[in-house]
Amino acid sequence: MLNDGEGKVSVSEDVVIDVKGLVRKYQSNSGILHQKKKETVAVDHIDLEVKRGELFGLLGPNGAGKTTTIKVLTTLLLPTQGSVRILGYDIVKDSMEVRKHIGLILGGERGLYYRITARQNLRYFADLYGVPMSIRDKRIDEVLAKVNLTDKADTRVEDFSRGMKQRLHIAKGIIHDPELIFMDEPTMGLDPQAAREARELTKDLIASGKTILLTTHYMFEADELCDRIGVITRGKIVALNTPSGLKSLVRDTSVIEVEGFGITNVDIDALKALAGVRTVSANMSEDKQVLRVQTGDASTLLTGVTHALQDRKIIGMRIKEPTLEDAYLWLVREDA
Amino acid sequence: MPRLRALAASFRHQATMFIAEPQWLIPNIIAPFIFTMVVLMLFKEPGPDALLYAVLGGGMMGMWGNTLYASGFSIQSDRWWGTSDAIFGAPSPLIWIIGGRTLWNALVGILNGLFVLVVVVLAFQMPFQVNDLPLFVLSFVTTLLSLAALGMLFSAAFVLTRSAQVMTNGLEFPIYVGTGTMFPIALLPLWTSPLSLALAPTWGIDAIRYAAIFDYDQGLWAGFWGDMLAMCVLSIVYLLVSVWLYKIVDKKARETASLTRY
Repeated sequence: MLNDGEGKVSVSEDVVIDVKGLVRKYQSNSGILHQKKKETVAVDHIDLEVKRGELFGLLGPNGAGKTTTIKVLTTLLLPTQGSVRILGYDIVKDSMEVRKHIGLILGGERGLYYRITARQNLRYFADLYGVPMSIRDKRIDEVLAKVNLTDKADTRVEDFSRGMKQRLHIAKGIIHDPELIFMDEPTMGLDPQAAREARELTKDLIASGKTILLTTHYMFEADELCDRIGVITRGKIVALNTPSGLKSLVRDTSVIEVEGFGITNVDIDALKALAGVRTVSANMSEDKQVLRVQTGDASTLLTGVTHALQDRKIIGMRIKEPTLEDAYLWLVREDA
Repeated sequence: MPRLRALAASFRHQATMFIAEPQWLIPNIIAPFIFTMVVLMLFKEPGPDALLYAVLGGGMMGMWGNTLYASGFSIQSDRWWGTSDAIFGAPSPLIWIIGGRTLWNALVGILNGLFVLVVVVLAFQMPFQVNDLPLFVLSFVTTLLSLAALGMLFSAAFVLTRSAQVMTNGLEFPIYVGTGTMFPIALLPLWTSPLSLALAPTWGIDAIRYAAIFDYDQGLWAGFWGDMLAMCVLSIVYLLVSVWLYKIVDKKARETASLTRY
C-alpha cells in the first residue's frame, strides 16, 4: 500500500470500494426510570471490494443491513469496527475528500425540496457539492437534459409525478459528476415505465465510466443491471458472485409456479411441510396469488402440491427453471 | 472559498424557501407586530420613549424568533424533506450551511423591525426620533449578528435532537424576558441577572436604547461602548464554542444516526 501524502492510499487503482471487517452496531434505550440499553448489530463483519466501472448489487431482505452499509460507505455513519476506503480515502479520516467524489441517489418520495423548482434544487446542491461556478449553470442544464427534465426545470417539485421526482433524484446525485455513485432502491415505488427509464439512466452512467453500488428488491433488475451481486442477510454477506454464478447455486433446483385465487398462509405452511420442498415464496395480492415452490424434483412433487391446494381455484401451474430470485430466496431462506 | 460558497448558497436557499412558504409571515412578521401593538396599547398615552421600547421589543422579538427558527427549524425541516442525508453528506461543513440560513433569517429580522416601526409610527401618529442615528444603526446591526451567533450556539444541539422544534418554542420567551427586550432586566429577580448578562443580545438591546433614547437612565453600568464590547466578546465566544460543538456534533451524529431520523 502506498500513501500519496494527502491521506489517499492506493491499494489498487482498480479497487474503488475496499471494505474490510466492517461492523456497525446501533444502541437504543428503552424505559424511563430504569433505562435498558439494547445493542443491535446491523452490519456484521463485511468484506467487500468493488472495482472501477463495475455495477455492484447489494441484495437482501428488509432490515438486512443494506442501507446501513451504504450510509457507512457514504460517510453518513461511522463504522463501529473495521476499515473502509473509498477511492483510496479513509471514510473516517478523509470524509470530506470522499464526499467530493461520490454521489448518493435515494429512492422514494422524500429527499427533495418540494416548494422550489427542479433548477433551484440542483443549484443549491451544485453549490454545496462544489461544482465550479464557471460551469454550474451549464452543468445543471446538461444534467436536466440527461434525465429528460429540461421542460420541467422551472416547475416546483411538488407538481412532479413520482417518476419525475426519481429522475430529479438521479440528477441531484450526479450534479457534481462523481466517480462513484451509490443508489439505494432507486426504482422503489415507480410504475413500470418510470422504473425502466431509471434503469436506462443507470446503464448510461455505467457506459460513461461511472462505478455504481446499487441496492434493490427487484431481482430481475439486479439480474439485468449488475456485474456482481452481494447477498446480505442479518448483517452478513452470505454470497458474492455474478448473477449467473448465483443462479448456479440452485441449478439442482426446479420451481413449481402456481397461480390461483383464495390461497392463504395456511396453504403456504401446508406446502412447506411437504417432503422435498425447499422453500416457498408467495406474492399474495388480493386479486391473485402467485407461489413459487422450490424443490429438487418438481415432477414428483406436482401431485402433492395439487392435493394441498385442491380446495383453491388454481388457474395455472408450471415447472420453471430457477431464476436469480430463487437463488436469492434460497440464500435468505431463514429471513423469508 | 468552498465554505463561503456554502454560506452564500444556504443564505440564498433559505431566502428562496422563505418566499416559497408564505406561512412564515405569521411567526416572523404578524406575531411580533401584534405583540408590539398590545404593549403600546397598555400605555394610556404612549410617549416617544414608550414607542421606542415597544418597537425595539417587537423588532427584537421578530429577529430572535427568526434566528431561532433558522437554526432549529431549518435542520428539522431537512429531516422532514428527507434532504438531511444530502446536506450532511455534502463536502461542505454543516456549520457554514446552517450559518448561511441563520444570516438570512437575521436579515428578515431587520425587515421585520422596520415593518413594525413604520406601521406603529403611522398608527400612533408619532414622530420617530432617535438620539444618535449612526450609533443606533451600528448597535442594531451588531445586535442582529449577536443574535445570529447565539442561534448558532443553540443550533449545534438542534442537529442532534428530533425535538428541535419543541426546544425552539421553549427558548423563544425566556430569551425575550432574559434579554430585557420588553422591559429592563432590573425588574427581574436578582438571581436571573447572571443568566441575562451571559446573553450577548442583553447588552445589544441596552446599547440600542443608549443610542436611541434621549437621557436613557435605566441602562446597564457599562454605557454604550461597554455594552458594545461585552456583546462582541460574548458573540465571539458563542461562535468559537459553536465551531467546537459542531465538530463534536458531527462525530456524534455519525455515531448515533440521529441526523437522519425524523
